[in-house]
Amino acid sequence: MKDSIFKTFAVAFGLCIVCSVIVSVAAVSLKPKQDENKQLDKQINILRAAGLVDAKESPNAAQVKDLFSQIESVVVNIETGDAVADVDTQNVDPKNVTKLPKDQDPAGIGSRPNEAVVYLVKENGVIQTIVLPVFGRGLWSTMYGFIALKGDFKTVANLTFYDQLETAGLGGEIANPKWTQKWIDKTAVDDSGKPVIKVIKGNVDPASPNANEQVDGISGATLTGNGVTKTVEYWLGENGFGPYLNKLRSGN
Amino acid sequence: MNPTMKKTFIEPFMQNNPVAVQILGICSALAVTTNLRTALTMCLAVTFVTTFSNIGVSIIRKIIPGSIRMIVEMTIIATLVILVDQLIKAFSYNLSKELSVFVGLIITNCIVMGRAEAFAIKNNVLESSLDGLGNGIGYSIVLLTVAFFRELFGFGTLFGFTILKTVNNGGWYVPNGLLVLSPGAFFLIGFFIWLVKIRYKELME
Amino acid sequence: MKILRNILGQLEKHLFAEGKPLSIFFPFFEAADTFFFTPDKKTTGKCHVRDCNDFKRMMISVVYALIPCVLMGMYNVGLQANRLMEINGIPESGDWHFWILSWINAHFPILGVFDVPDLRGFNPLNWNIIGCLIHGAVYFLPLYILTMVVGLGWEILFAMINRHDVNEGFFVTGLIFPLTLPPSIPLWQVAIAISFGVLIGKEFFGGTGRNFLNPALVARAFLFFAYAGQISGDKVWTVVDGVSKATPLSYATNPSLTEGGIDGLSNAGYTMFDSFIGLIPGSFGETSTLACLIGMVFLLFIGVASWRIMLSMTVGAMGMATVLMMLGSETNAAFNIGPIWHFILGGFAFGMVFMATDPVSAAITKQGQFLYGLLIGILIIIVRVLNPAYPEGTMLVILFGNCCAPLIDYFVVQANIKRRLKRVAVNNE
Repeated sequence: MKDSIFKTFAVAFGLCIVCSVIVSVAAVSLKPKQDENKQLDKQINILRAAGLVDAKESPNAAQVKDLFSQIESVVVNIETGDAVADVDTQNVDPKNVTKLPKDQDPAGIGSRPNEAVVYLVKENGVIQTIVLPVFGRGLWSTMYGFIALKGDFKTVANLTFYDQLETAGLGGEIANPKWTQKWIDKTAVDDSGKPVIKVIKGNVDPASPNANEQVDGISGATLTGNGVTKTVEYWLGENGFGPYLNKLRSGN
Repeated sequence: MNPTMKKTFIEPFMQNNPVAVQILGICSALAVTTNLRTALTMCLAVTFVTTFSNIGVSIIRKIIPGSIRMIVEMTIIATLVILVDQLIKAFSYNLSKELSVFVGLIITNCIVMGRAEAFAIKNNVLESSLDGLGNGIGYSIVLLTVAFFRELFGFGTLFGFTILKTVNNGGWYVPNGLLVLSPGAFFLIGFFIWLVKIRYKELME
Repeated sequence: MKILRNILGQLEKHLFAEGKPLSIFFPFFEAADTFFFTPDKKTTGKCHVRDCNDFKRMMISVVYALIPCVLMGMYNVGLQANRLMEINGIPESGDWHFWILSWINAHFPILGVFDVPDLRGFNPLNWNIIGCLIHGAVYFLPLYILTMVVGLGWEILFAMINRHDVNEGFFVTGLIFPLTLPPSIPLWQVAIAISFGVLIGKEFFGGTGRNFLNPALVARAFLFFAYAGQISGDKVWTVVDGVSKATPLSYATNPSLTEGGIDGLSNAGYTMFDSFIGLIPGSFGETSTLACLIGMVFLLFIGVASWRIMLSMTVGAMGMATVLMMLGSETNAAFNIGPIWHFILGGFAFGMVFMATDPVSAAITKQGQFLYGLLIGILIIIVRVLNPAYPEGTMLVILFGNCCAPLIDYFVVQANIKRRLKRVAVNNE
């Protein structure tokens, strides 16, 4: 009688009930904790980019919350460069994108979001640091990171990559703080608002007049370096956050 | 523990190792062994799933209808895997990011299904649990060995602590990039198989 | 000679023969013995003789064919270094290579190891060929000696374990491998790589004759993936510290429209003549297409290497390069390099003459050799032009070809069997 149709259904049904109860209890009860983790992870990345948390530190939830309270999140319309007040930072639609024609797409991303969240660190109402999300094609993967600019909106405050799959030990070194700190205090954008910073092949000659707009390349990772240059060039340029940065610079 | 049970438990460590002898579960052995932390998490997850799926299957083995046998096993395994996945996401978010889909893919790990189908379906609960635990440990032995060499020589660290300071961080050690790539794990598993076959001559073909 | 023969004979009888105290070292003894004398052992049982060219002659003739590459390689490494030193000045200090060179220069200034050749006039002494040759030899010989010591060490160890004779196969591998390396490669990496190549590429599969991959290429591929920083990029091709000089191939295959392709080559000042003769930065053996071709003529003349593979590989590569050039591309400058540059640049000629034709790892059947060469030739160009990460496809593609060779042979043999069966069937009707 073990294999009668009734019994087959009964066993299947019973098993499904038991298993689905286990799975749903786990999923529902752990959901808030998981969301909190996701949020925390993102916030740590932003804090690292803003230079408020060291790359090696991993602060606990309370510390992150405390540090993040000094950061203001703003939704920006990329095309016009205006802050969008009526969209909540949590509700930015990632599917709301514009396709990029090939000649306007040096970073190789295909399409860009119409709205993006940027983060401002203010002191006495004056912007000290602005953290911009960037992404672009490296050699093998899309590299996701943040570039932080200082209060003049021209000088690099920091650059971090939190998600990339470049060759470990070569291109992967873009995520190594030892390399990214070479960006700090370099001039990213010139007075006319054009992105100028470049990762060059080999080491920067300090005597060169352009030394302040150049970053040492990683030996053996020229193509990843080019990808980083183009990513930064795109996002700081007129098709990226350029309009927004221009407005900030002119005091609007 | 009587001798048969002992054999059930011990044998998967070496001479019937699921990875090195039965060549199962290779996919995850390549993917998560670039460092010991992810490898250890994966080992604990797989050991948990094999043990409890064996127990689960064994408990209801007498009422499982033959026609839906495999689906029942699969359901039990999938439930356990989702449970593990949710737990890791909730309590160790960074690890879950590094492990990405590979915890979910334990469902398709042949070791788990293989033990349920080959052992748990026809043995009692105690023996099945020992078999599951033993196979989980056997899998872990290979993964941890591979991860040890990959992390130590590929990054100069163990569990994230610097052992050999790499050149990029101002030390002397030039990391071996081959071990960081998946083929590096293939070579190491090959060496492991070679050692097991030298030790247990009867396994030589 | 007779005395030596007697000594060796006595040694064999009392020490190395089966059952004597040192019998485990017999392969070692045998290797030394046959180095001096032709073996007196004769094949027993049924056999057939194809020609008088035995294994040892064959391997040694490949070594002879490599000599032009060795000489050109050493000369060129010295030349590249001295040219840079002329511009930047001779450095104050350097590594141990530099220390040896300084010593030579101080004691034998007439050799001119740091002088740039002066090609004006026709006096060979003025050309400073010797000086550059010595300069390069200081870099090449340590690599070569280390490769031989480590590689032969493994060979002898395995010969002792498996109780077979040490054979001459490694003389070729041991010379080809250092020729594929950049002159600045650290010695410890060379030792690890050749160990990997001999063990994984050869001994684990049963030793010489049973390796399905070319051990020298396995060793190089190991370096390429394990220590990419020391074998690729633009800093490794010259021995002068801190000076980067990219190989012409990396200019040519750079997809950038402003820096890559034909324009990239000419902007960087590389001419077709220099590249053909081998006066460009690169690994020891691969820079001189001319030297490779001299070796090729020798190998073809004595019939050791397969002309089928060389021909089809050239046809495949040139054909593919022509197709890509005609297709053109608006985003990838490497499309316009053209067949001739492809033939001259990088490791193509060296790989074609000395590595793709390795009789053990290449296809054996005649038709199979055509297919094998064609496959490798076409793929090399595809990797070079279409993959931005690996400017040099030759090494990886030949390894890939090695993997495919047994399959190609299998299909050729199967097709043969089918055809013959058909013929039998027709005859029987």
